[in-house]
Amino acid sequence: MSELSVQTTPQEQRELERFYFHEARLLDNRQFQQWLALLSEDVAYIVPSRVNTQVDNRQRGREEMLSVERELEGADSMGAPLREENLFHLALRVERAYKMNAWADNPPARTRRIIGNIELLQRDAQQWRVLNNFHLYYARPGSANCLYSGQRRDTLSRDDGGFRLCRREVILDYADIDKPTVGLLF
Amino acid sequence: MQFSVRDLVNEDATRISRRCWSDPRVYELEKRGIFGRSWLFLGHESQIPRAGDFVQAYMCETPVILARGEDGAIHASVNSCTHRGLPVCRADHGNTKRFVCPYHSWSYRVDGSLATIPQENTLRNKPDKSALGLQRVPRVESWRGMIFGSFDPDIVALEDYLGDMRFYLDAFFQRFPEGVEFLGAPHRWVIDANWKLPVENQLGDVNHGPFLHAALISREIQERIEELGHSVVTAPGHGATFRLMPEDTPWQEVAWGMEGLGGQLGGQEVQDWLREVQARAAQRVGPLRARMKGLTYGIYPNLSFLWSNTAFKVSHPRGPGRVEYWSWAVVPAGAPDTVKRALRTNYSSFFGPGGIIEQEDSEAWSQQYRGASIDFTDDHALYYGLGLGEEAPHPELPGLVSVTANEFYARNFFARWRDELQAVEEGA
Repeated sequence: MSELSVQTTPQEQRELERFYFHEARLLDNRQFQQWLALLSEDVAYIVPSRVNTQVDNRQRGREEMLSVERELEGADSMGAPLREENLFHLALRVERAYKMNAWADNPPARTRRIIGNIELLQRDAQQWRVLNNFHLYYARPGSANCLYSGQRRDTLSRDDGGFRLCRREVILDYADIDKPTVGLLF
Repeated sequence: MQFSVRDLVNEDATRISRRCWSDPRVYELEKRGIFGRSWLFLGHESQIPRAGDFVQAYMCETPVILARGEDGAIHASVNSCTHRGLPVCRADHGNTKRFVCPYHSWSYRVDGSLATIPQENTLRNKPDKSALGLQRVPRVESWRGMIFGSFDPDIVALEDYLGDMRFYLDAFFQRFPEGVEFLGAPHRWVIDANWKLPVENQLGDVNHGPFLHAALISREIQERIEELGHSVVTAPGHGATFRLMPEDTPWQEVAWGMEGLGGQLGGQEVQDWLREVQARAAQRVGPLRARMKGLTYGIYPNLSFLWSNTAFKVSHPRGPGRVEYWSWAVVPAGAPDTVKRALRTNYSSFFGPGGIIEQEDSEAWSQQYRGASIDFTDDHALYYGLGLGEEAPHPELPGLVSVTANEFYARNFFARWRDELQAVEEGA
C-alpha cells in the first residue's frame, strides 16, 4: 500500500468528503438506521486482530520487517479476526441499539469522530477504493472515556442515491484492548 | 477490618461476602491457594505443531512461554530471564531456536534451558549454565490436545483433576473425527471486573440470558432452554450446561447450536458439513451425547468453554478488580475453510471483544465489581441460595444434575474456593 493516491478533481474529492462527513454525523448522532441505508446489500465489514509478531530475521534492514500487514489477522488469514460481518450482523447491531435493554448502551455512549486523510487509491467504472483515518472519542457515563484510533480501508460503489459502502476493513491501533468494546460502528 | 475466609462464605455457600471479589487480601490468598495449586489452561497442541513453535500464556499473573522442543515434547517456562528478569519472548506466537533477553543477550533454548551467556568469555569462573535456565512450570500435562500447567509439583494427574468433565468435553471433542483446532492468536482484552465473575457466568449461569441479553435472546428461546436445559456439577468448581434434545429432533436443531445463524449465514456447504457430522454423532459419542446441545462449561478455576459459539476462554486476574480475558475461536480440525470461517464468525460476531452479546456481559461484570466494592455492605452478603438442595444424581449423566435456574454450580465453586483459601490461611 505504498502507491500514491490517484489524481482527483477538487469536485470528486469534495464528493468523497461529503459522503464521509455525512456518515460520521449520522453515527455520532446515533442515527444508525439511516447509516444502514448507506451500505450495499453485500457489504463486508472486517476488523482484523493485531498480533505482536516475531521479527523475521530474513527481512531485517528492509521495510517489510516493520510492515503493518504482518500484524493483521484479517479476513484472508486462517487466524481470528476481531470481527467479520455482513449486512445481517450490522443490522442486528443497529436493531439492538434501539431496544430498551441494550444495557451496555444505557445510557448511550457519546461519540465524536474526526475523519481525515481521505485518499482515493483506485477508481474504475464501478468501484472506488478509499483510505481514510479516524479518531473516535468515546464517553459513556459510568463506564469509560477513551479514544479509538484507526484506518478504514473502504470500497465504495455508486448509484443514484450517491456512494454506497461495499467493504470496510478497520485497522485499529491498539496494543492491548483496554476499551469497553470494539463492537462499535467505526 | 480483620476477617477470616470462613466468615466470607457461609457453610452452604448461600451467602457470599462482597469482599470475595474486591478485597486485595483475598486476592493475595487466591494467588497461592487457588492459582498456586490448580491445573491452569495454557494452550492447545494445534497452536504449536512443529518443533520450535511457541505461544504466550499466563498462569494467573505469571507470564509463561509454551513451546514445542526439538524433541517434540511440550515445555512451559516462566518468561523472565534468570539474569535480570526481563521477558525473553515478546511475540504472541512464532517459531524459533532461541529466546534472547534484550538486556545482555542471555539466550535460552525453547525448552527453557540456558544456551549462552555472552559475558562469560572474558571471565575465569564460568557459571553453571545447567542451573540457570528459565524457571520451569513443574507440571505440564495434556488431554485431548488441551495443555495445562501447575505450579504444584504434587497435584493429582490432569485426567483425574478433570474427572467426569471429560465425559462432557468429549461430547464436543470426539464429535469430530480429527478433533479441534484453535484458530490464530487469542483475543485478549481487559475488563474492570473480578476474575471470578466471568468464570461463574460460564460455569452455569444461563439464567441471565433473557434478561441481561434481552435485546437479542427472546423469551421463546429461553423457554426452550428451560424446558430442555440441564445443569451439571461433576465436582465442585467444574460444571456444564446443555440442552438434551428429544430423540426425534431433526438434525438441524441438534447440530451444536450451528443450526442457528452461523449455519444459515454460512451457506449450503456449511449446512451439509454439519449434517454429516451430526449423522455420525451417535456412532462417535453415543446416542445420549449425540443429543447434547451444549451451552456453557467451566473447569476450575478459570477455564470456560462456550459450546454454542465454539470458544474457549480464560479469565486471568490482574488484581482484584481487573481481568485480562483471553478467548480462542475453536473449530473442527480438518473441516473445510468455509466451515472454519463460518464458525469463527459465529463466535466473534456474538462473543469476544467486539461481540454483540459479550458487551453486555462485560458491562455487568464491571458493574458487579462496583457493587462488590461498597464499604457499607459488609453485613449484607450477596445471595446465592436459588434452588438450594434441588440437585440430584441422574441415571445417565455423571455428576449432580438440576434445572438451569439452580445456582448449585456457584455454591459448589465457592465452597471449594473457601476451603482452599482457608487451607492457605491456616498454613496447611
